[in-house]
Amino acid sequence: MTPASGASSAESQPEHLHPTVMARVVARDLRDGDVVNLGVGLPLECVNVLPEGREILLHSELGLVGFGPVITDHTEADPYVTMVGNLPVRAQPGTSFMSHDESFAMIRGGHIDVAVLGGLQVDQDGNLANTQFEGKPAGNLGGAPDLAYGAKQTVVLMRHTTHDGSPKILKRCTLPLTTPTCVDRIVTDVAVMDIEAGRIVLREVAPGWTPDSVQAITEARLDIASDVREIVL
Amino acid sequence: MIDKIVSFFDEAVADIEDGATVHFGGFVSPWNSPSYLVGAVARQGATELTAISTSMGRGPTNARNQTPWLPDELVPTDFWDIGLLAQLGRIKKGIASFSVGARRDLVYPFEERLAAGEVELELLGQGSLAERIRSARAGIAAFYTPVGPGTAVAEGKELRDFDGVLHVLETALHADFALIRAYQGDRHGNLVFRGARTFNETMAGAATVTIAEVDEIVELGGLAPDRIHTPGVYVQRVVERPATPTTSWEQPS
Repeated sequence: MTPASGASSAESQPEHLHPTVMARVVARDLRDGDVVNLGVGLPLECVNVLPEGREILLHSELGLVGFGPVITDHTEADPYVTMVGNLPVRAQPGTSFMSHDESFAMIRGGHIDVAVLGGLQVDQDGNLANTQFEGKPAGNLGGAPDLAYGAKQTVVLMRHTTHDGSPKILKRCTLPLTTPTCVDRIVTDVAVMDIEAGRIVLREVAPGWTPDSVQAITEARLDIASDVREIVL
Repeated sequence: MIDKIVSFFDEAVADIEDGATVHFGGFVSPWNSPSYLVGAVARQGATELTAISTSMGRGPTNARNQTPWLPDELVPTDFWDIGLLAQLGRIKKGIASFSVGARRDLVYPFEERLAAGEVELELLGQGSLAERIRSARAGIAAFYTPVGPGTAVAEGKELRDFDGVLHVLETALHADFALIRAYQGDRHGNLVFRGARTFNETMAGAATVTIAEVDEIVELGGLAPDRIHTPGVYVQRVVERPATPTTSWEQPS
């Protein structure tokens, strides 16, 4: 067990977790044998930080499952083998390919254990909004509506606030919903929270943060778990 | 004798009429998009199209950004997505899951026309989009899915409760043409894909005329029956990509 980030001195602002560390917090809890779909944006950070010693099958909605890490040396890439974000990944023993309709039968049919999605807003009822960007005439739904509905566990991996500091964890989402009542866990750059029957339970805080300092940047009321602790990897 | 092979892309898309509904396959990668078919439609000039595609495309100037992991000299010169058709003003309506750039500074041609009120958009999640297309191939008029109720996607559609879960009725999406990309094909239209088969396999047969752009045409019998992904029954035309990539969509192919 190691601290999730470097020590922060008492005088300075608490540090926000680096995206790679946020991804490791999600990866930490994946179980051997889990089928996991990673959405675009922050969730893609999880691809290369999966825990060793556990076989985790990555699923990507364009039609592949059981693939290996993202390839960074283009001379090793097979450009026909890409995941979302058009990133080249390794086909490895056990990898299979399929069509989009099959891929979503797998998603909608409840065969995905964990979906890790980006988020613009999440509210205390577990409603997710990650579709409509500010200043755009429309949005992008992608595979999120089906993933958020179909996965056995939906984890939202996002920054705790917007770039201008506005809360993203709200009493009620104000942006168009992607999927209602679907979020089970929120992992941010300052905390880990679970959504349970209309309440948000604060489980873990980043080093240097307290339940009070997390609540201060959260619109929804947080229930503090009796065993709330510092995030460790 | 059955021979679905067409020598040129321009010939393969010649009968697409103004106002046609067209499926565009792939997942916005140079290796799974029907680039030459898109280029041929752009040259052919059909307009007022209803375009069904996972994404409304990035357009010619942004297409290269799709492969940032490749050195510039290795990025394919022959990649065009339907953003090209949006830029040329050929699309009247898009039915898609991705309609805009994911960042404020990424503004795509369809998005510009949408903001100007020049095009219509029906936005839906990829799962419902894929199943609506698959249904068209399979002769299913409509289906109930639990994905959509409680969101804008379900507005104006029939809702029904199954075992305590609200479902929305989604109808099949049949098109006049399906333009898809495969790895290999034969003169019967049998297809084999490489990598994720994306909307290419889903759209095959979901249109009156399915046209497959393939990397390679092989002799009949060259594809092992156990390995064929799309039976030729679903495919009306097969066109081989040129051995030497073209560098502009305006170049006949």
